[in-house]
Amino acid sequence: MSGKVIFLLSVALSSAQQLCTPGASDGYKVRLSIQTALGDNAYAWSQNELFLFRATLAFAMRNHFDGQDFQVANIIVCDETQRVSFWFVVTWPDDAARLVDGSEVELAIRKSRKRINSAFLLNDRTLEFVGIVPTLAAPQLPATPPWLIAFGVVMGAVGAGFVILVVSAAVQKRRKKKENVVDVAEDEGSDVEAPPPKPLKNGSVRQDPNGISNVAFCDDERVTQM
Amino acid sequence: MGEDARPNWDSPVQFLLACVSYAVGLGNVWRFPYLCQMHGGGGFLIPYLLMLFLEGVPLFYMELAVGQKMRLGSIGAWSAINPYLGGVGLASMVASVYICLYYNIINAWSFWYLFNSFQSVLPWSDCPVNSNLTGPLEECQKASSTQYFFFRETLNISTSIEENGGIHTGQALCLLLAWVITYLFIIHGIKSSGKVVYFTATFPYVVLVIYLIRGLTLPGAIHGITYLFTPKMEELANPTAWINAATQIFFSLGLGFGSLIAFSSYNQYNNNFEHQAFTVAIINSGTSIFASIVTFSIYGFKATVNYENCLERTRILLLNSFNLAEDTISMSNVLDWIKNLNATYPEQFAELGNKLEDCDLNDELDTAVEGVGLAFIVYSEAIQNMPLPQLWSVLYFVMLLLIGLGSMLGNMTAISTPLQDFKILSKVSNEVLNGILCLIFLLFGLAFTTPSGNYWFTMFNDYGASFSLLFVVLIEVITVSYLYGIKRFEKDIEDMLGHRPNWYLKIMWMIVSPLLLIALFIFYIVNYIRGGAITYQAWDKELGKTVVTDYPIFGQFFIALLLVSAVSCVPLTALYVYCTNRKRSTSIKESAISAS
Repeated sequence: MSGKVIFLLSVALSSAQQLCTPGASDGYKVRLSIQTALGDNAYAWSQNELFLFRATLAFAMRNHFDGQDFQVANIIVCDETQRVSFWFVVTWPDDAARLVDGSEVELAIRKSRKRINSAFLLNDRTLEFVGIVPTLAAPQLPATPPWLIAFGVVMGAVGAGFVILVVSAAVQKRRKKKENVVDVAEDEGSDVEAPPPKPLKNGSVRQDPNGISNVAFCDDERVTQM
Repeated sequence: MGEDARPNWDSPVQFLLACVSYAVGLGNVWRFPYLCQMHGGGGFLIPYLLMLFLEGVPLFYMELAVGQKMRLGSIGAWSAINPYLGGVGLASMVASVYICLYYNIINAWSFWYLFNSFQSVLPWSDCPVNSNLTGPLEECQKASSTQYFFFRETLNISTSIEENGGIHTGQALCLLLAWVITYLFIIHGIKSSGKVVYFTATFPYVVLVIYLIRGLTLPGAIHGITYLFTPKMEELANPTAWINAATQIFFSLGLGFGSLIAFSSYNQYNNNFEHQAFTVAIINSGTSIFASIVTFSIYGFKATVNYENCLERTRILLLNSFNLAEDTISMSNVLDWIKNLNATYPEQFAELGNKLEDCDLNDELDTAVEGVGLAFIVYSEAIQNMPLPQLWSVLYFVMLLLIGLGSMLGNMTAISTPLQDFKILSKVSNEVLNGILCLIFLLFGLAFTTPSGNYWFTMFNDYGASFSLLFVVLIEVITVSYLYGIKRFEKDIEDMLGHRPNWYLKIMWMIVSPLLLIALFIFYIVNYIRGGAITYQAWDKELGKTVVTDYPIFGQFFIALLLVSAVSCVPLTALYVYCTNRKRSTSIKESAISAS
């Protein structure tokens, strides 16, 4: 009796091994880079981890095919290496000799990729399914591009500066006009025949049409103090 | 006369800072380090410093003297020196117009990069994903993410100068901002720009010092610095090194644009420009050397990062191909393992074939880049790898902006000053004249924001103000030394400064500088004749890199137009003055005859 069981098991095993070969058309190579991902916190790869992997894959297959009860035994692994890489194939739960189509396996894995990754604390890059390209995250486009916001701030500041400049220039002009009016009123009194104004190097001389008034001798007070 | 006295700088320091702000331009940051790398590192300093004293200082001194003596912009000053040679000033102004047209687009790019730095992930550090979310965009993968960001997202460049498209909105907005700020800086002429230069001349140095400290503390910076300073003396035997040193000094100091004449025309008559000439020239060269130290420490860092990435990729490739456990190969013994595996599994190793890259640190350092590529692509690549990249990015592009806007001040002043010397325009106020100029340049500058705009930019950059300026300055120095007379010039300087110029300067003006300029001139012409078709670098979308392309006929025609329009000002103006004089003398003779 036990002989028959052993015989059946070995037949099953060998047929399983025949199903899984490196380079199988319906199989995929898996590569884990645990040390790259986790560094000092890396866990050692063991048969238990492999069991978890097979269970996770079975979970993924169940998610993809509604109603099909995939078991851990349906995930056959071979060609394990030191790299921590191996090949796997998936068999149907009701027919252990038939392999699930490679494309269906790919779709199943794609669907549950995140869950598979997180079971091993890895990401798309460190848990590679060779041949299955990971779906990248869709770019998150904000409503207003951020550069436009920065531009708006700077443009606003520059615009404000411009307005301040124009306003201060206008205010200064008005002040100068008032000063000129006062000066002209002062000079009206003196009847000096002004010689044609020449460009003088002495910077303290101010020219105006009614004469040359030497500011150096200008008295601010028109009435001398007692 | 009754007109306003000519405005003056508030103090000689303002004038000095204005000259520094103008002379220290983007060329100091992106051309000099490249030349250093091309011509044997530290050894290049020898021709560079020699040319500084043979050509740079004397010509700089001469332009300052002319401006301060004549107290007019470039057109008026050269007309006063020799009535037939007012065209020299006009040619300077034409060159300045060309510069103003395209230079602000660089500031627009700096603004664009600056605004894009305010994001948690710098947009040029990652490739965007393609439409079916399977991987990065093909163009970005073939090039690099920084190149993609510059050529596609910043410029949206077309594949040749003939293809065109619409205006890039982001670029146009940044260009508008650049021109608004330029206008604000020059709105009251030197009264406003004089205050601005306190900031634009000094802050870039603050940033450079910060970057120097950051750069020197980066891993791998030392490789770049040793690469820079290991002199390869055999390079000095190559005449190109000397030619490049001479042209670099020449263009770096901004000679011939009329900006220096314009700036010094606002000086007090007795201002000691001699000290200032030497100071500015030495500060300019010092800044170039300082900037190249910073650049090379950044180069060293970038090369080290790329080299380590290359080693990492090789390590992963070996681990995956030979199915070895992860901790067998580390970064330090990758190269040993390559030899090992080659010996033990030769056929399998051969299968790897071209997937295996050659990782060489020196190769990474050898990639010499200059110009826009260095400033925007290489630097942004280095910045993305630094810790806290947003801060470094903002600092760097603010520095580029200040340097660029400082040079724009000089370029705009070179145009508005001679214009205001004309009687018709002297009644127009500073604000209105500068506003009209800025508006015109903005509208024309929008052409550079189109997809082929970068090719036009390169054309203007290479031909708009290079050859013509050599011609202009050559005529200037010959005019001053021989037509005006060196004796008269000496007397003018003695009048202004109180002492005659050194005999060294006189020898330079009369003999050495003209000879040097003629040599450069001949070199340019010979190069052009030997070079065959004029080419430019066009971006190939499929290959993800630039390819050398010939200019089409209209491109070559335009280049000829750029050159001829500036150079021809000199003979045409001379002819015009000659004809007007003849007419005047004949009419005077006639009126004298009819009176008698």
